[in-house]
Amino acid sequence: MGILENKARARLFYKYLSKVYDTINPFIWNDEMRDEAIAWLDIQPDDRVLDVGSGTGFATEGLLQHTDNVYCLDQSIHQMEKAFAKFGKHDKVKFHRGDAERLPFADDTFDHLWSSGSIEYWPNPIDALEEFRRVTKPGGRVLVVGPDYPNSVVMQKLADAIMLFYDENEADRMFETAGYTDFEHHIQQASPGSPKAITTVATVPAAAATDGVADAATDHATAGDSAAD
Amino acid sequence: MVMKESLMDILCCPVDKHDLELTVDTKDDEEIIEGTLTCTECGEAYPIEDGIPNLLPPDMRDEAAA
Repeated sequence: MGILENKARARLFYKYLSKVYDTINPFIWNDEMRDEAIAWLDIQPDDRVLDVGSGTGFATEGLLQHTDNVYCLDQSIHQMEKAFAKFGKHDKVKFHRGDAERLPFADDTFDHLWSSGSIEYWPNPIDALEEFRRVTKPGGRVLVVGPDYPNSVVMQKLADAIMLFYDENEADRMFETAGYTDFEHHIQQASPGSPKAITTVATVPAAAATDGVADAATDHATAGDSAAD
Repeated sequence: MVMKESLMDILCCPVDKHDLELTVDTKDDEEIIEGTLTCTECGEAYPIEDGIPNLLPPDMRDEAAA
């Protein structure tokens, strides 16, 4: 999975990237693309939605147009400080620091889950996708925006060296391995020639459908009696 | 929104997914400003810093503080 399999190295890289991110990102991912993708979640006004890798709050801003019940999770306080400036640190958005691959939320907590511009930095994306399935209610939707595998040779070399880029076949493999059976991919592009995003919308299967997933059989996977307070 | 006690229902230990126990150090009405969330199973303690729960697993917490 490239040199970012070391988490400390991934964070160092990400800290560097955050300095240029707001400059390069609008050419890859803009608010029209964001709003188009958010519509695929079909968020209802009272839905509880988790934004994983919320960063500077670009997606959060779009999600808040659909529901006031938005939870944000990011590992980087540097990124989150930019979101505090937009929404207030102690106002309507509920901020948490945490790891996408080890979420600090109980089973079936969220109606829907959103994650954009984050998967390319996760050392073990399948672990994160399994966690998304765990914390989202059956029938809820999980939406992940990642970078499509680039066409240009220079970008391919960069992609192979440092980041996770994936095509539809690889996305199929990741989501199937993580226990999803019902999902679709959308290729989104700001303008011809700009890098493409691959956006996957998956519906969380009922609990019974997860029986075949090898490492989901931990004690917390049995939602209900033991977890009840 | 600042960390509130009502959030306890949905939070869990990121490592073993067991319930967390809340200790409040500083409170403003029903909002928790400073405190600790401790896992009832493994005993790991997660700080609440200026109203933001830091639920990074212990192996990520120190480096990410930079």
